[in-house]
Amino acid sequence: MKIGLFIPCYIDAFYPGAGIATLELLEKLGQDVDYPLNQTCCGQPMANSGCNSDAAGAEDLFVKNFAQYDVIVMPSGSCAHHVRDNFDAIPQSEAVTHVRQNTYELVEFLHDVLKVDAFPWAEFPHRVGLHNSCGTLRSLRTASMSELGEPFFSKPMDLLQKVKGISFAKPSRPDECCGFGGTFSVTEEAVSARMGLDKVTDHYNAGAEYIVSADTSCMMHQEGCAKRAAVPVRFIHIAEILNGARS
Amino acid sequence: MNSREMILARLRSNRPDPDVYLLPDIAILGDQDRSRARFETSLAGMGGAVLERQGEETLAAAVARRFPDAKIICSAVPDYEGTLHIEDVTSPQQAAETDVMVVRAPFGIAETGSVFLSEAQLNHLNSAAHLAQHLVVILSEQNITANMHTAYTERQEFHTAHYGVLMSGPSATADIQGVLIRGAQGVRSLSVWWE
Amino acid sequence: MKVKPVNHAKAAEVFLQDEPHLKFHDERLWDMRQKRDQQMHILPEWQELRARASEIKEHTLAHLPEYLEQFEANAKKNGIHVHWAADAGEHNRIAGEILEKHRAKSLIKSKSMVTEECDMRGYLEPRGITVTETDLGERIQQLDNQMPSHVVVPAVHKLIPDVAKVFAENYQTDPNERDPHALAEAQREAARPVILSADAGMTGGNFLVAETGTFVVCTNEGNADLSSTVTGLHIATLGIERIIPRMADLGVFVRLLSRSALGSPITQYTTHFRGPQKGGEMHVILVDNGRSQRLGMDDFWTSLKCIRCGACMNTCPVYRRSGGLSYGAVYSGPIGSILDPTFNERKYSTLPFASTMNGSCTNVCPVKINIHEQLYKWRRVLAEHHEIPFVKRELMRMAGRIMGKPVLYRAAINSTNAALGNLPRVALYNWMNPWGKNRELPPAAKQSFHSWYKENRLKKEKA
Repeated sequence: MKIGLFIPCYIDAFYPGAGIATLELLEKLGQDVDYPLNQTCCGQPMANSGCNSDAAGAEDLFVKNFAQYDVIVMPSGSCAHHVRDNFDAIPQSEAVTHVRQNTYELVEFLHDVLKVDAFPWAEFPHRVGLHNSCGTLRSLRTASMSELGEPFFSKPMDLLQKVKGISFAKPSRPDECCGFGGTFSVTEEAVSARMGLDKVTDHYNAGAEYIVSADTSCMMHQEGCAKRAAVPVRFIHIAEILNGARS
Repeated sequence: MNSREMILARLRSNRPDPDVYLLPDIAILGDQDRSRARFETSLAGMGGAVLERQGEETLAAAVARRFPDAKIICSAVPDYEGTLHIEDVTSPQQAAETDVMVVRAPFGIAETGSVFLSEAQLNHLNSAAHLAQHLVVILSEQNITANMHTAYTERQEFHTAHYGVLMSGPSATADIQGVLIRGAQGVRSLSVWWE
Repeated sequence: MKVKPVNHAKAAEVFLQDEPHLKFHDERLWDMRQKRDQQMHILPEWQELRARASEIKEHTLAHLPEYLEQFEANAKKNGIHVHWAADAGEHNRIAGEILEKHRAKSLIKSKSMVTEECDMRGYLEPRGITVTETDLGERIQQLDNQMPSHVVVPAVHKLIPDVAKVFAENYQTDPNERDPHALAEAQREAARPVILSADAGMTGGNFLVAETGTFVVCTNEGNADLSSTVTGLHIATLGIERIIPRMADLGVFVRLLSRSALGSPITQYTTHFRGPQKGGEMHVILVDNGRSQRLGMDDFWTSLKCIRCGACMNTCPVYRRSGGLSYGAVYSGPIGSILDPTFNERKYSTLPFASTMNGSCTNVCPVKINIHEQLYKWRRVLAEHHEIPFVKRELMRMAGRIMGKPVLYRAAINSTNAALGNLPRVALYNWMNPWGKNRELPPAAKQSFHSWYKENRLKKEKA
């Protein structure tokens, strides 16, 4: 199985550590991973703004870069959601369909495809609050949703529980959106920032030292809110913990 | 073309394919328990109460005990006197003077603690059930239906009454800063008397 | 003159500045969501109820003309006058004519979103008809000259002192009254004489039943039953999408409605009107006002399934932190944001963007409307119709260009001007500027992932 690794723009530019951890983790798990150098973006920002036709260039390039791989893996729930569920600015060729059907967010890839049962190198002696982004929660369905009353399950939690020394903080509104929402974060700045502050405060009050998530975009926003309001909570991508980061 | 024709024509041309969307069978779901105990729990949840019989007391005695200050007690049932009978009430304005109204419900619903009243029980003065300050509803354990599904499928009253209200506890509001207040615009209390 | 789009963001910013109101609003609506969840957990058949409700509604919408005709025939048989209103203006004219015929000068009414939609009070009052809202929350809003901020709890954005102030101005109560029971009692005392002396009554309605010609009104305060039974004249206004085929279908909907709305198993009053009272007169106005057009919109017709429970508002993290009035429309929150653009695309063009599209609304919807997916689709429609701001449009065009070309993309990541093309850098920064108002910028990374990869993987391979 040949894996194409997609690293979203904000991870590439601001949080390369999450990308490096993703790559190293997949390598530790014995996977054959390629990072196509000409990759840019999945098209989500344009599509979510309604400007779907402007996403065509990005989508076209995405397919060119990744059609040759058996699976495409990315450490981002919202990008995986876009590719899988909304990627329709370009004609749906065989290559496009192949890419859309074989795109995985990292957690679901580890949990569902590789079925990883141990991360012997991983130890994280901290109390963490898990943030499920709305993309992973309600679109990729990597965890049970409180609104549906379904039996509890959580793929990211299943993975994190295999990490030595880790413990979990339980926020009071675990499924509440953090308010990032892409361009929403600037066009609706006031509401977005307040949602972010409420989110990090909820985690902090529950005793979280770290907020961990499979989505860096949510964390970029939450970290900005936490820093401004001096809420002493730190942020880490789930790939970094699973790859063996200690702090 | 009048509005009726215009609306119907537009609906006909705009609607999704009727053959694709089938009507499901009638649903009879949920807990089928039609016990008095379930009814009472539900009634209490909606803010209603049971007017408990103390010893061998009559309904008249129980009403007098529960509402000692009531001056006008309006009866809508033949087997209880009150201070006046609903047939002697001629207007809503007169009905508004009522302290306690006593009425018999043809059935209740265990799931919700609801009682059903229609013009047949209110001598066609439907407002009387809402203008009185307090309501006492006589109900027989035999006439409890399990839930909303069984109520709508079993009870013919929904097909015959011009006015049929399911009352579930007294009137209530939480429109002022979320504080629950029992006794908003309609009756301040609703009590069930078992017969 | 072109209509200006509603500025939700700005109104929300103002709402957020008042901490006590914000805190209460968020917690009160979240509590309603929690109570809804409790009801869901009690009923193992909850998801089946939702599925059936959705199926019944979709079937009914696909057979709307037949069911409306069936309703009309049965209602007429029972002595109800049935009217059809193509739009808001016609609705108001019909209501006005009925009142005029009866020389009615005083109308008492219970809450109806359709009459809000038609701005009926604004039509009747200049014609000498006093309209009194009898629902407590709606009355508070009427006295305060505001629209309802929520479809179920119209004054949920107000605190006790706000109500005390409104009542002091109108009912001469103590402006410092802080006991909500006393305030509610003041409304009861003020409303009773108005109710007893009114010439006509009006209600909205939650359901029309085709099989029997019945309409159903679900309320908690008892004011709809008073409004409909005290006077001899009852006018009911309902949207044409409110219809369901069979009496037995009510079981599904009544079980879902109040549980979804308030987390109570049923409303205190569930009233079935099948014909006029003895000696009285009953009218039903069936209102289209854009609904038949909406039925023809492939992506949006299922919004007509809505039963107006407000669950999507209660769960919406944006609504809870911006308040219903910030939407500047009769219908607010998630459902409002997909309904309102069908009334006025330009005016409400901002509302589908007043959402993070998190999807919680879709999950709580008792009739399974895919609200967040419709928000997404509305954004597309609005962009195609040029109803999004120019700068945003241009930025997306620019972003699309950059993302399609690896060279430009690399230049942008490395923060060089080469990528920006014709759009001045200042436009981008001005647009991005709000980020930093209440948030820190992300930390600068020493090296991009791309460059790290080239150094640490490609070089090694070559070596």
